[in-house]
Amino acid sequence: MISVKKVTKKFGKLTVLRGVDCEIKKGEQVAIIGPSGSGKSTLLRCMNLLEIPSGGEVWLEESLISAPDPYLHPEIIKESSTYKTLTKNGAEDACELIVNERKLKRYEGLGFSGALKSYTAEHGIGINSARQKMGMVFQHFNLFNNMTVIQNLTLAPVQLKLKTKEEAEAKAMELLRRIGLEDKRDEYPSKLSGGQKQRVAIIRALAMDPDVILFDEPTSALDPEMVGEVLDLMKSLAKEGMTMVIVTHEMGFAREVADRVLFIDEGVIKEEGPPSEIFDNPKNPRLKDFLSKVL
Amino acid sequence: MDFFDNIVRLLTTEKYMDMIYQGLETTLTVSIFAAILGLLIGTVVAIVGISGNSKWMLLPKLICKIYVTVIRGTPMALQLFIMAYAIFAIRGFPQEITAIVAFGINSGAYVSESIRAGILSVDIGQTEAGRALGLSGATTMIRIVIPQAIKNVIPAIGNELIALIKETSIVSMIGMYDLTQAAKIIGSGTNMASYIVPMSVAACFYLAIVYILTFGIKFIEKRLRAGDKR
Ligand SMILES: Nc1ncnc2c1ncn2[C@@H]1O[C@H](COP(=O)(O)OP(=O)(O)O)[C@@H](O)[C@H]1O
Ligand SMILES: [Mg+2]
Repeated sequence: MISVKKVTKKFGKLTVLRGVDCEIKKGEQVAIIGPSGSGKSTLLRCMNLLEIPSGGEVWLEESLISAPDPYLHPEIIKESSTYKTLTKNGAEDACELIVNERKLKRYEGLGFSGALKSYTAEHGIGINSARQKMGMVFQHFNLFNNMTVIQNLTLAPVQLKLKTKEEAEAKAMELLRRIGLEDKRDEYPSKLSGGQKQRVAIIRALAMDPDVILFDEPTSALDPEMVGEVLDLMKSLAKEGMTMVIVTHEMGFAREVADRVLFIDEGVIKEEGPPSEIFDNPKNPRLKDFLSKVL
Repeated sequence: MDFFDNIVRLLTTEKYMDMIYQGLETTLTVSIFAAILGLLIGTVVAIVGISGNSKWMLLPKLICKIYVTVIRGTPMALQLFIMAYAIFAIRGFPQEITAIVAFGINSGAYVSESIRAGILSVDIGQTEAGRALGLSGATTMIRIVIPQAIKNVIPAIGNELIALIKETSIVSMIGMYDLTQAAKIIGSGTNMASYIVPMSVAACFYLAIVYILTFGIKFIEKRLRAGDKR
């Protein structure tokens, strides 16, 4: 479903992701855990390009949604003027040399830019259409404050012409009934409790009929008594087979719901596996240390 | 007392009141249309100013930056003279339009700063949520960010509007007949031969306009805030 290939991310001089590879499969629930500041949110946000990766590629199914990364494509590197100069001077593994030492310059000639462009034309997909298939749920809910609940739920499907207004409202009401908040349809978000806001935010993502939903610490901003209602909704989504990527501090939830857990530390995936392995039989010393602090 | 007798005399003399109304009309026309023009320019300049640093935006951004700097760094009277005696120095060109353009351009520079601040005060999470649903940057801006920014911006825009109305009194410097100019002419020797009376009356009219405007802005603010107490 989502393929993250050698993704790096820098904020100025700070390198947050140092080459992350991961694959989210259809129908899978993947939990991302790790210490605070390790790059969990950044990785999640790179998946729908809220953060633009500094290197590497992000794919949704068969479509490239980030810019192509020439270092992942020898056939594109071979168009570069650096490659041509190196081979002319008798370098044998010019391609490998370029990849290993990251030798590409800002401008590598028309052939090279043309190759990048045609690669994008062949495999690329507009980011807005990719995002329609990837829901996102934020730590701070981010419901649209200037709109009622029902407007929050119908804005995008109607604006993007995925549904008529009537269809979108019918779907929104169905989702509201599912979370027992149909009487809140005309309330503004400010009138809802934190748990209600987050559940509305989750069904706002569902209203788009997404293929996958990304969750960034969906319960971290909630009062403890409201965490349960949000986790219950997420569990029911998981049961229905929704593809989910969940950055979370709720280890119990990760263990119960996730098919697979990724442990991120210092900008790389240090360990990954089924929850039983990660929680009961951790191998990486940093993971052991992390678990000893949070469990 | 002489002063009050003269006030009554002014208010009951049709000729003087016609002059006051004629001046008032100019003041209001120039203010209203300049405010609209300023709001339009200000919104566009603000949006250009906060847009991303793509190569297509570099030149427009630079132009907007120069515009704001120059307008805010030079006197209004000078801008008005340039508009009247250089740019629109065409015989018979309607002075009202000259003034509207001059004040609109001036107001736009100040308004753009308020709008910019208003847009930036909207939580970035609102934009991210819109974009994450697949909405375009423009749709997100128009449907989500600007409606929320307006609430933050209304008080500042209101102050700008009030300042604008008072500033239009300098149109008399290019020979236009506004409320201030009307008062001056009524006070001259051929008419009442006393400035304090017509000036006081004009002041009351300005005060009334500003008062009504302040009230209106408060009202709008209240309406907009209804339903989202945060
Ligand atoms: N927009 C940004 N600009 C600069 N630094 C950032 C930005 N976003 C995140 N960071 C930095 O990147 C690091 C990782 O952040 P994040 O991915 O949010 O960590 P996590 O979600 O694992 O706690 C942190 O040091 C954070 O300060
Ligand atoms: Mg985070």
